[in-house]
Amino acid sequence: MLATTAALALLAIAPDPSGPWRAVLDLAGGPLRFEVTISRETGGFRAELCNAGECAPAGPVRLTGDSIVIDLTDYAATIAARVSDDSLVGAYSNVGNRGPRLIPFRAARGRWEATSLPAALAGSWDATLVTDGRSSPRIFVLSEGARGAEGAVVSNTGDYGRFHGMVAGDSVAFSHFDGSFVYMFTARLDGDTLRGTFHAGLRTQTPFTAVRSAGRAHLKAPTEMTSADTTEPFRFAFPDLEGRLVAHDDPRFRGRVVVVDVFGTWCSTCHYAAPILESFQREYGPRGFTVVGLAYEVTGDTAVDGVLVRRYREKFGLTFPLLLAGMGTAELAAPTLPQLNGFTAFPTTIFLARDGRVRRVHAGFYGPATGAMHRQQVAEFRAVIESLLRE
Amino acid sequence: MVGRVLALCLAAVAAPAAAAQAPPPLAAERAAFADWLATAPTSPFAAVAQQPIGGGLSLGPDGGPGLEGLQGARVNFEGERVVLTGLGTPRPLPRFRPTRLGRYLLVPGGTAATPVLTVFDSSRARKAPRWYAHDPSLEFVGALTPPVEASSRRLLTPDGVEVEATDAGTVLVPLGGVATRLRVMRIPDPATGESELEVFFRDSTNAGETYPAGRFVALIPQGGDRYRLDFNRARNPFCAYSSAYACPLPWQGNLLPGHVRAGEQYVKD
Repeated sequence: MLATTAALALLAIAPDPSGPWRAVLDLAGGPLRFEVTISRETGGFRAELCNAGECAPAGPVRLTGDSIVIDLTDYAATIAARVSDDSLVGAYSNVGNRGPRLIPFRAARGRWEATSLPAALAGSWDATLVTDGRSSPRIFVLSEGARGAEGAVVSNTGDYGRFHGMVAGDSVAFSHFDGSFVYMFTARLDGDTLRGTFHAGLRTQTPFTAVRSAGRAHLKAPTEMTSADTTEPFRFAFPDLEGRLVAHDDPRFRGRVVVVDVFGTWCSTCHYAAPILESFQREYGPRGFTVVGLAYEVTGDTAVDGVLVRRYREKFGLTFPLLLAGMGTAELAAPTLPQLNGFTAFPTTIFLARDGRVRRVHAGFYGPATGAMHRQQVAEFRAVIESLLRE
Repeated sequence: MVGRVLALCLAAVAAPAAAAQAPPPLAAERAAFADWLATAPTSPFAAVAQQPIGGGLSLGPDGGPGLEGLQGARVNFEGERVVLTGLGTPRPLPRFRPTRLGRYLLVPGGTAATPVLTVFDSSRARKAPRWYAHDPSLEFVGALTPPVEASSRRLLTPDGVEVEATDAGTVLVPLGGVATRLRVMRIPDPATGESELEVFFRDSTNAGETYPAGRFVALIPQGGDRYRLDFNRARNPFCAYSSAYACPLPWQGNLLPGHVRAGEQYVKD
């Protein structure tokens, strides 16, 4: 009996992890703040990762002894942490070809307290990142959201999602972690220039300077990244989720205005575009318009990829056809779309007139976190569709 | 002058101490790495071949990697795609992701311009890595002196892939009674888009205790121009685990006097 009691005493049981957690990845350049929400479901728990109040499903949570493991299903990554009192302490692990990359992780119960964005920082900033003499442009969009300071980082191929902002005096830190991408920028206002560091992963750091956007083009226009052969109708032929080959001349597309959404379920920016395209499908469908999604997925195995794309279809309630087009890198996708030149971005949105010819190619997508850039882009999409429908 | 040189040197973080347990973060990193070496299908111990795809690579017994049971199989570089042919319908191989082919896993890697194929066979024997006891006196913090002018050169990453690395400058390390200037290169990881500030160095332990070609250690940013160089994190290039990997040439000048008894050791056959 004594032996049994002792054995039981040594069995540590993790407390119920349900609820919101304010979490940190301790990068070499400082703490990256985000939130984890764990909820109970039949047979276990599930986690969501949240940035500035915007949450996305992360995966199931396993309880083992006094520890929890969050399986970040889409990324072959985990967060493993020991639960003690009301804190989690452990590591985020993402396995690459050079082995596991560990970043220290910690969390406490509750949500991050909102900090307000000073008026002097609100708005768009033209940032220039410089690494060993080479520069690359970004636009930082900083705003006051429902959960305090928030931001977006826009590159030539779209934005990185919503960033949680933390303001302390004249210093700011904006963070985004979606289970795979680990991004943060820290900065201080120096006169009218924002100077700081862009952090990617545990210790990749790139200095930048940013000045207020003054209306001059800082990024390449999304319509100038990729060109298309407009002399003939745009051709494609890929299997749908039931294995039937669907081509560009399918009766569902013939004589209609068509938007071809080149996407991947792994592409977070594509997740922002999907509900917009579905809203167009519902609004303009009766007037001779349709969307078709070409999915470029992880494995190239239709059985595996089909599951991912079905889940994507259900998540956004998509009613337009989705085809399994291939594997999800620009270099693998480009040869399957030979009428495009300079294909570089997921998503890429291709607008076809009723004669099937390409009228516009838009590379990347500005998500809602980019504010006015997002609204202007959606308005442009709408204007193009309406113009093509009138022809 | 002596004082000025010392002022520019990296400073030791702690006085020499008796051999100690690695601090928890480092111990966790080592445990995860050891587990990956022991269990991962793409553990470097399981690598049986790593070759440039170039104009095409025959996989079978009469080809480059000489893989059993893959007569006629070939990997080609078409446009910017890596394609497997000779086994029915040609199929593209995703970069940085494993594709199973019988008992083998194929992982195309490298850069888009110069892809390489690494082949793994999970049945290969593996060994547990071994590290020196933690030595806090071999941990330094100080400035990274930028290069006089920007330059880059092609070199091999720890996993044997040729990349274009940029010169990030030098650090001065006070060891063995002298300050040695070590070259630091920014080495990109084509799979993640991230990069590491790496030092590939040699010291007297290479003669018998650590890998003969040298070891890598990454600088850890501390804010501003200050970096932590922790030799307890020194690690072997992957050629120490499998002869399938190309081994980086020692970097000119990165030779420390004396024995740096910290970080990963070489577990010989």
